[in-house]
Amino acid sequence: MPRLRNKKKVPYIRPVVKKQASVNHVTGDKIPKSFVFSRGKLPGPLKQLEMDLRKLMLPYTALKLKEKKRNNVKDFLKVAGPMGVTHFLILSKTESAPYLRVARTPQGPTLTFKIHEYSLSADVAKSQLRPRCPQDLFRNAPLIVLSGFGSGEQHMKSTTVMFQNIFPAIDISTVKLSSCQRIVLLNYNKDTKLIDFRHYSIRLQPVGVSRRIRKFVQNHQAPDLRSLKDVSDFVTKAGYGSESEVDEEAATVTLASDLGRVNRASTKSAIKLQEIGPRMTLQLTKVEEGLCSGGILFSEYGGSGSSEKDKRQDNHENLEEEEDDEEDEDEDLEEQENDV
Amino acid sequence: MAEETRVEKAAVVRKTRRERGMKGFKSNKKQKRDMAAPRRSFKVDKRMEKMFKKRARDYNSDSDDDGEKRNRYGSAATVGEKNNAGAASVNDDDSDVDMAKEFEGSGDEEDGEIMPGIIKLAEGCRAFKMAFKSILKKSVSDDSLGPVLSAHKKLVVEKLAQEEAEKKVKGEARKQRQMVGEKGHVKPANYLDAHDKFLIGVATKGVVKLFNAVNKAQSAQKGLDPSRSKDAKVIKKRRKEAFFSELGKKSLPVGAKVDTFSGPKDSEGPSWAPLRDNYLLTNPKLKDWDKMQETNEADAVGGMSEDSGSDED
Repeated sequence: MPRLRNKKKVPYIRPVVKKQASVNHVTGDKIPKSFVFSRGKLPGPLKQLEMDLRKLMLPYTALKLKEKKRNNVKDFLKVAGPMGVTHFLILSKTESAPYLRVARTPQGPTLTFKIHEYSLSADVAKSQLRPRCPQDLFRNAPLIVLSGFGSGEQHMKSTTVMFQNIFPAIDISTVKLSSCQRIVLLNYNKDTKLIDFRHYSIRLQPVGVSRRIRKFVQNHQAPDLRSLKDVSDFVTKAGYGSESEVDEEAATVTLASDLGRVNRASTKSAIKLQEIGPRMTLQLTKVEEGLCSGGILFSEYGGSGSSEKDKRQDNHENLEEEEDDEEDEDEDLEEQENDV
Repeated sequence: MAEETRVEKAAVVRKTRRERGMKGFKSNKKQKRDMAAPRRSFKVDKRMEKMFKKRARDYNSDSDDDGEKRNRYGSAATVGEKNNAGAASVNDDDSDVDMAKEFEGSGDEEDGEIMPGIIKLAEGCRAFKMAFKSILKKSVSDDSLGPVLSAHKKLVVEKLAQEEAEKKVKGEARKQRQMVGEKGHVKPANYLDAHDKFLIGVATKGVVKLFNAVNKAQSAQKGLDPSRSKDAKVIKKRRKEAFFSELGKKSLPVGAKVDTFSGPKDSEGPSWAPLRDNYLLTNPKLKDWDKMQETNEADAVGGMSEDSGSDED
C-alpha cells in the first residue's frame, strides 16, 4: 500500500471568487475591464495616484493588483486575455515628468499622456470642507463626459474612442439612476492642448424646498426649535441661500424613478457635483499603433505621424467601431459632448 | 621662551657681577642670595666671556630650532604625523642633553667653582623645556573648537563632525530625490477657482443631459412589461425612436448654446460616419469595404468636415 500523504497537511482551498460577469446581462455588451499598473519604480505620490486611478476604474478593475519588478507588459497581457481585461493604464516616471499610457489590449493602440500636474484624492479631500464618500460610491462604473474633443484631428478622435470604451456602456432605457454615482470628465483645451481630467461624485437634492426642510428630511434629526415661537416659523422662514444655489436652474432634472428616500420621481432635483480625486492635467504626446509598440501614428514632438499612417489608423478604428453594437453607440452619443 | 629669558637674566646678573667686581666689593644681600653657593671672587677673563656668549648663543639657537620644529609640526593635524613629530622631538631632546653635558664638562674643566649655578640653571631649563614642549605639542590643533588637550576628545569631536557632514549630504540627496518624485504633484486650493467651476459646469451639463434622456426613455416605456414578448418588441422599437426624436427636438433650440450632442446630427450627417449603427448597411460603397480603403477614407473625412461646419453654428 502506498504511503499516504501527511494527514496533518491542510489542503489548500481555493478562495471562492465571485466571478464577475464579462458581459452585461441586460444589454449583452462586453464589459470593458482594466488593469492599472506601473512600469519602473514610482515615487510615493505617484504610487498613491496609481491607487486612486484603480479606485476610479472600479468596479471592473483589479484593485489589489500585485506587480513585481520583473513583471513586464507581456506578463500582464498574458493574464489579461483569460480575465477579459481590455484596457491597460500604465503609469511611469521619467526625469522630466510622470507619464500615463492608456492602451487597449491586446493589439493597441496606445495613447501616451504626459502628466503636467496631478492631485491625489487625499489632496482633494483635504481641500474640501466636507469631503463626501458614500458607501456605494465605487460600486458602479462612472459615467464619462468628453468635452472639447470635437476637433477633426485624428489623434483626438482616437482619444475619444479610447475613453468612450474604457467604461461599460449604459443603456438609456434600462439604466438605474441610482447607479450613476460618479462622473469622469475629460475636458480638452484647444489653446493649451491640455486635457483636464476630473472625477466627481453626483449628488441629487430636492429643489423647491427651503434649506431647513431639506436638511430635516435628509438628516433624520430633530431640528433645533429653541429660537422659534411656533412650528410654522420653521416651515415658512426661509434659510439663507448660498451663492451656489443661484445658478441651479440649469442643473435641475426630473427623475424617471425614485432615487432614495429624498428624491422622488415626481419632484425636481438639483444635480450637485463634488470632486473626488484624482485630478490630472494631461497632454497627449504620442499615439502608437500597437500595445506600447508599433508605428507611431501621432507624436507631439517628433511629428513622425505621416498621413498614411493616420489613414491606416482611421480604418482600423472604423473596423473597431463596426463591431460595437447599437447600445454602445447610444451611450457614446449620449456621453460625447462637443463644445465649440 | 622661558628658558631663553632665564638665560638672558643670568647673563645680566653675571654682567653686573663683573662690573661690581671691577668696582670693588660692596656687600649686597640680593646678590648673595643669587649666588648662594660660591662666595669666592673670580675674574672674568676673555675666554670665559666667550664661553658665556657661546652658551647663550647655543641656548638661543636651540630655542630657535625648537620653534622652527614646532612650526613645522604645528600644522600637522593627524595623529600619525604627531607621533612622528614626537619621535623627532625625542631625538632632539637627546641631542640637547648631549650638548648640555658637553658644556658642563667644559665648564668643569674651565672653572668648576662658578659653573654649578649655570649648570643648575641649564638643568632646570631642560625640565621646563620638556614639559613645555610636551604641552605645546599637544595643543597643535587649530580647529574651531579651540585647544582641546585630550586627543581622544578630539577624535570624538572629529567623528561627530564627520557624521554631521555625512548626514547633511544624505539629507540633501534625499530632499532632491523627493523633489523629483513630487514633480507635478499639486495640492489643490481650498477655494474653487474659475477653471474648476467651469469644469464642474461642463460635467453638470453632461449629467443633466443624460438624466433627462434617461427620464424620457424610461417614462415612454412605463406600463409595458419587458418580459412579455409583445411588449418587448414595442419597447425595442420605441426605445431608439424616442431617444433620437427627443434629442433632435432639443438640439434645434439648443443649437446656439455652447455644447451640443453629436447625437442629433447623427440623423442627417454623422459626427463620425462609423459611429452610426447602420453605417455598413446604408452605405453602398461599403459593401466591400476591405477592398476600397481609399474611398472609405475620403468619405469619412467628408463627413467630418461637414460635422465640424455644423459644429460652428
